[in-house]
Amino acid sequence: MNAIASERAVVAGPPEPGRLAGLTDRVAAVAAEHLDRTDRDAVFPVEALDEMRRTGLLGLLVPVEYGGLGGGLRDMIEACVSLGRVDLSVAMIFSMHCQQVAAVVEHGDERLRTELLPRIADGKIYVASVTTEAGKGGHLLTSEAALDTTGDELDVDRFAPIVTGGAHADGFLVTMLAPGATSPHQVSLVYAHRDQLVVEQTGDWQPLGMRASHSVALRLRGRVPEHHVVGGQGDFRAIVTSVFGPMAHLGWSASWLGTAAGALSRVVRMLRSPENRNRVDLGSELLLTRLSQARRRLDTVHALLTQTERTVSRSPDLSLPRIQLQLNALKITAAEECFAVVDGLIEAVGMRHGYLKGSPTRLEHALRDLRSASLNYSNDRLHLADGKLALLDPEVRFV
Amino acid sequence: MDPRFTELLAPFLKFLGDEEITAETSLREQGLDSMQAIELLFAIEDTFAVVLPDEAMNDATFATAGSLWNAISAASEAGQEASVR
Repeated sequence: MNAIASERAVVAGPPEPGRLAGLTDRVAAVAAEHLDRTDRDAVFPVEALDEMRRTGLLGLLVPVEYGGLGGGLRDMIEACVSLGRVDLSVAMIFSMHCQQVAAVVEHGDERLRTELLPRIADGKIYVASVTTEAGKGGHLLTSEAALDTTGDELDVDRFAPIVTGGAHADGFLVTMLAPGATSPHQVSLVYAHRDQLVVEQTGDWQPLGMRASHSVALRLRGRVPEHHVVGGQGDFRAIVTSVFGPMAHLGWSASWLGTAAGALSRVVRMLRSPENRNRVDLGSELLLTRLSQARRRLDTVHALLTQTERTVSRSPDLSLPRIQLQLNALKITAAEECFAVVDGLIEAVGMRHGYLKGSPTRLEHALRDLRSASLNYSNDRLHLADGKLALLDPEVRFV
Repeated sequence: MDPRFTELLAPFLKFLGDEEITAETSLREQGLDSMQAIELLFAIEDTFAVVLPDEAMNDATFATAGSLWNAISAASEAGQEASVR
């Protein structure tokens, strides 16, 4: 079943038009102030996160009855695009937090929801995702480390090689094997608050791009009460199909689209600026063609994003092959096209404004960040899944 | 469930061990992954001469041995009705 359809927004009422834009603008302004430093030093954008806490944006998807903004999928997408225009790391941090919140809203025990959601809405809890595991090659649906049961509590002991924002998160949603699991497919999702864990950070974070996402290796050890299991024991797959998968692909794609759109916007503004108008030949056919290509790619991704959001909101069962294919097509297309937009813009504007740091176009930064898109849940792996899914849909029907 | 069905299913459930396949056996937990769904489907089509409809290609159908057997039975009945007509 699809658990993240817009029914929640119907109950809670979406944030008034304009209000959400005002909140994301505040976060974007703080992100803009710090992005050169957070990128250069590969440090977490603490200031932008603090503004997300203050504005209540961390509680965007928390229903109004728990004190949140009561936003829906479309609100999250709009926020990701806006933040992505300024800083992809900040947008991805926000999008992944929203994904965790949606899982708790839709699949959490009522006791956990009552304890956790008001604190998220209050800006006190930023939740990081712990789904990576050494030795499983990015497989989301299996796990090797197992939960143990001691009395009414669950023992958590888990190493994760990449946890975005792990050093700054106030809580974690962790995938682990269900207690007594007989196969690596019996995966559970558990919430652990930072003070319930001993968190050890290992290794360094020095990547090509997404440097401010500060995605470190962590070892988590501790105990959590049993009602912290989100969804049934061993039932993580249902959460992936109904929440994690669609939220990830929509949120990431929106963030990438925002970054590529921001890049084109800054290039067009530069080209149109009074000081450049006489220096650049705006009638150049090569330049016009390159601008056209960039814009066409953005419109393609935007159309697919809009359609996929509609599909997810309206479909009661997201596990059907044609729906999975559309969700994967969005992720693969957004990853490839958004990177290609910025790559093409670098060709269009050349060395100084395309390749060097310090240009107001910030293309160099955007290109490095967007290079991660095809790797962030690997396009190669999705193509293999899509090939199999295509074989399951011989009529080739569309949604 | 038809014994031919449980026999056909067994090689896909590598974590089942010595346990018997029952209607409640979870296919995913016992090792069927989405990448093998197509191989399983071909085996079903060859053994029972049925084609499962596109609408049945969802998680609910592939949840347990029982749910998959129900889908096969339904497809098989639909096929017989069509041939009687």
